[in-house]
Amino acid sequence: MNNKFIINNTLRFVFLVGLQLLLLNELPFGRIYIMIYPLFILLLPVFTPRIAVLLLAFFTGMIVDAFSNGGGLHTASLLLIGFIRSYILDTFQPKSGWDKLDEPTLSQQGVNWYFFYTLILFSIHHLIYFFLELFSISNFVTTFFKSIFSLISSLSVVWLISLFFARKSKS
Amino acid sequence: MRSIYYLISRFYVLILFVLLEFFALSLIFKSHKYQEVKFLNTSNSVVGTLLSYVNGFNTFIHLGTNNKALVEENAMLKKQIKFQNQYPSDSSLPKNSDLYTFDYVVAKIENNSINKNINYITINKGSKDGLQKGLGVISSNGVVGFITNVSKNFSLVMSVISIKSLVGVRHKNSNALGNLRWNGNDPYTLQIDGFSKTLPVKKNDTIVTAGFSSIFPPDLIVAIVKDVKPDEGSSFYDINVHLTNNISSLSYVYVVKNNKKNELDSLQRLINNE
Repeated sequence: MNNKFIINNTLRFVFLVGLQLLLLNELPFGRIYIMIYPLFILLLPVFTPRIAVLLLAFFTGMIVDAFSNGGGLHTASLLLIGFIRSYILDTFQPKSGWDKLDEPTLSQQGVNWYFFYTLILFSIHHLIYFFLELFSISNFVTTFFKSIFSLISSLSVVWLISLFFARKSKS
Repeated sequence: MRSIYYLISRFYVLILFVLLEFFALSLIFKSHKYQEVKFLNTSNSVVGTLLSYVNGFNTFIHLGTNNKALVEENAMLKKQIKFQNQYPSDSSLPKNSDLYTFDYVVAKIENNSINKNINYITINKGSKDGLQKGLGVISSNGVVGFITNVSKNFSLVMSVISIKSLVGVRHKNSNALGNLRWNGNDPYTLQIDGFSKTLPVKKNDTIVTAGFSSIFPPDLIVAIVKDVKPDEGSSFYDINVHLTNNISSLSYVYVVKNNKKNELDSLQRLINNE
């Protein structure tokens, strides 16, 4: 069972980070920046040790930064996601509590739950990323709209990917 | 002592988080302060080599556009040869004046983005090919940016689509000088400041490089004026332009090396020191 988790998450990491670096980073739309790599941290099994989640977030952020000249922006925003993920999971736990083998995925937790879970964490990630990038309050309105449009597009891509894989794993 | 162990064992996740976050934030601070990415960047040899493998696909996609650009450049060069043949070599035309002895190094783009506030382009030439920090980069039909980081085999170019980029430009019809900047909004629309309201600036006017710095060759066409409106609060125009080259689809660029750059720079430094 443990091996299955490791293989699944490694494949997910390669797929999401690969897609991010090879395709989404090079899209020629300047007003939006689609970021899907936080999904890897979001979908780690519920009982992954919190310290492992943090280290994985740090590692993933550094890789994305190194390949897209982010200069620490991706690392900083993803670390925050890695840190607050467990609090969000605690708040949104099912009535009977989390089971040992649970994963916070679309196929296990249902559409509604997954929608709010990704919405909250991606919103935090995108806002932090874009405001750290700006680093000042001068272009507030532009940055705010840029982060909102980017958030909507990132979430659309994330949900499409999740739906695609949820179907596949059921059949 | 026991209470310290207790604290660490209880809050070790928080402590680790704070340490790592502090590290990441210090990286951001540094890259903001020095206007360059110091540590995590694509001019790193490992990352650069990996990127050059995956970039083959991207080059393939833009093959058509690049072919067209090359054909146009070829036509232009042919026209120049014809023009030069009309005049014998002993004529007074300044073909290679002493100020402008530019060398061009062709480089291939390995990584490119236009969706950040500061956009970097990785190219596959580095200090091995004589490149250094501060050199200008152009494409066959416009400016691209400046080199900010150099490693042995790769360099990082800050593109003109960056809020910290600044290029000296000239209005072709009136010879007035101004600065090309970007306000961080639409990557296909850049701004020019410094043109006074008394100048006859119109839509579709040509903007060229000023050529006073030793970075870009003079009279290189940079941009076309998109719209002009007088700024209420000052004596200058608000001018939007679009670049003549499409930076997001470029595959090959030229790094401009001025053979007299060091000499010029040291002379200018002498003036500044006085």
